[in-house]
Amino acid sequence: MTPESNLISGGSGLQRRDFLKVGVGFSVALTLGTAIVGCSDAAKAPAQGFRFLHPGDVELFSALAPAVVVELTNFDEAKRKQVLGEMLGVVDGTLFAMDQHSQKEVRKLLDLLAITPLRYVLTGVGAWGEAGVDKMQAFLARWRGSRFATLNAGGNVLVKLTASSFYLLPAARASAGYPGPLEYVFNAINT
Amino acid sequence: MLIPNIYTEGIASGWKVIDGAKLSAPQTLEADVAIVGSGAGGGVAAEILSLAGLKVLLIEEGALHTSDSFRDMDELRSFVDLYQEAGARATSDGAIAVLQGRSVGGSTTVNWTSSFRTPPLTLKFWADQLEVVGHSVDEMQPWFEKMEQRLHVMQWEAANANNDVLKRGCEKLGWEAHSIRRNVKGCWNSGYCGMGCPVNAKQSMLVTTIPAALQNGATLVHRVRVRQFQHADGKISGATGQALREDGLTPSGVTVTIKARHYIAAGGAINTPALLLRSAAPDPHALLGKHTLIHPVVLTLAQMPEQIDPFYGAPQSIASDHFQWLNGATGPMGYKLEVPPIFPGIGAGVLNAFGKPLQEELAQLPHTSAVLALLRDGFVEQSPGGQVRLADDGSPILDYDLSDYVWEGVRRAYLSMAELQFAAGAKRVRAAHLDANYHTSWEAAKRELAELPLKKFRATLFTAHLMGGCGMSQNVKRGVVDSRGRHHQLANLSVMDGSVFPTSIGANPQLSVYALTAQNASALAKELGG
Repeated sequence: MTPESNLISGGSGLQRRDFLKVGVGFSVALTLGTAIVGCSDAAKAPAQGFRFLHPGDVELFSALAPAVVVELTNFDEAKRKQVLGEMLGVVDGTLFAMDQHSQKEVRKLLDLLAITPLRYVLTGVGAWGEAGVDKMQAFLARWRGSRFATLNAGGNVLVKLTASSFYLLPAARASAGYPGPLEYVFNAINT
Repeated sequence: MLIPNIYTEGIASGWKVIDGAKLSAPQTLEADVAIVGSGAGGGVAAEILSLAGLKVLLIEEGALHTSDSFRDMDELRSFVDLYQEAGARATSDGAIAVLQGRSVGGSTTVNWTSSFRTPPLTLKFWADQLEVVGHSVDEMQPWFEKMEQRLHVMQWEAANANNDVLKRGCEKLGWEAHSIRRNVKGCWNSGYCGMGCPVNAKQSMLVTTIPAALQNGATLVHRVRVRQFQHADGKISGATGQALREDGLTPSGVTVTIKARHYIAAGGAINTPALLLRSAAPDPHALLGKHTLIHPVVLTLAQMPEQIDPFYGAPQSIASDHFQWLNGATGPMGYKLEVPPIFPGIGAGVLNAFGKPLQEELAQLPHTSAVLALLRDGFVEQSPGGQVRLADDGSPILDYDLSDYVWEGVRRAYLSMAELQFAAGAKRVRAAHLDANYHTSWEAAKRELAELPLKKFRATLFTAHLMGGCGMSQNVKRGVVDSRGRHHQLANLSVMDGSVFPTSIGANPQLSVYALTAQNASALAKELGG
């Protein structure tokens, strides 16, 4: 739910200075990476059924989902698929509703993570689909534990988007000990 | 039991309500007064000016959502329909989450009903230090009374278990605490204020002043984003807006032109400065969009032995000002202690954890107490607030940095809140901070909190109170508007929302916006010959 996405541009004050320590490397890497690897037009457009997420982003959040929300592994496959679909829909809708500045910042982060050599260097993950929960958790822990504010910001936004996208769903209520809408009120006004 | 939909009945009886998403051809709308934004400021102004016989146009970027769509009492639906950027608004660097409303009624549709008069020390500071006139405690009293009566602000004694943690902790420690008054009528005590009141009990603008204005002949236009005021020779000549599609976000291409004698900007402290910046409003002293105050919020989390169910019951009913005015208005940063309701979605955001820790913490939600501190920013030089600027497409960007002065306040707030939760019987407590661990004793927690690195992205930071950016002062070098909200350089423009506050309020600001707007809109009505 909370975008924390200042990975590339840095903000102001402290965190811009923190960023500069790694930032030049990131920016150069991003430019080179894009130039070398290139990006097909299809990869730059929203995936089918999405308004913001590109196909590579869908893979990323699909890999993040069971790493952030371990309950997913308790669901049978049909339920897991359904819930994952709903989670991706929430992430996509949230990003689509953001104002331009936040969208651009998140887009930079996602584009960076879409470039294979960079992704490998920054996250230790080769392909999202093959990473598995442990590797994804290690990536998140590394970013959030970093002394660089920009990595903290990137790790936070991925965790919060993924975690909220699950816990906002009715399917998550039992996991959170939330019985759902207060029964006597809900029943009174819905009958 | 059917909760009557005020708007279905009203529109059937002839209320003029225009949905921008249904417009297919360019429109020109004319009125005596055009009000941009339908929250606490716009709603109150609309009622007062329409009651005075003026033709009022109330324009809202968000959609009209009413009790019918609040019946699901669903957190996800509320974020998408009722909050700025689907609840994901944040400062430019993403470090501070911004909870702000975006629908007819603005933030009053989703706020937690806490009603405080502007603290006397705040009003005195404005008069003594910032050349504000006409808003002393005595001068404001009748306006507070008027709005408290209008919005049924009442004493609320039934603290839920979540608020009772704060009450008990304060009693134990001998700290000041008081019950919070709420703007509710026939409240069912459900706790769903933040998702749109499902029973129309919250006396938000959505169910009070806006229906009254419509009854008085005002026109409500929703899903229309006002882009710009046109102005020349110190006067606004018109405004242009974009109709939005059904999604409430993307422009449909249909243009709305607005012509009025007088214009009121009431979009709140992020969108109002952005509108004036887009309009290139005269700003000879470079004040516009500056000094944005947010009451930065930090929290601590505790597991209580008893069941708290922090999602049910009136969200806020107890507050403590024990640390708010220790040195008067200035000195080290003051803070007000309150509790937030915690539903699973927002709870996941506050916990900011993943994997097993997230699972285990959220499984404990029924036993989880959160206490929050609202830090009172903007009263000293070391707390200059933030700044609103524009993205390429004209949408707002909010920069907000925390100085050492503010972080020092954050640390003291963490310590106060942890001490309080232990005093109330917590089994374990942690700060909402990436490096914080749970501790089972106050001594251990105190040691960690004293050393916790205080940095953006490590501390969880929120704001739900947006203020400043068009600050008021009689001195043109110090204020964008005068004490009556009149723009210093544009004769027929007023600002009536939280953006006129020259400091933060030091308490939840809705009643401050209501009373100040009532006073300033009444003066405007007289002037316009209503």
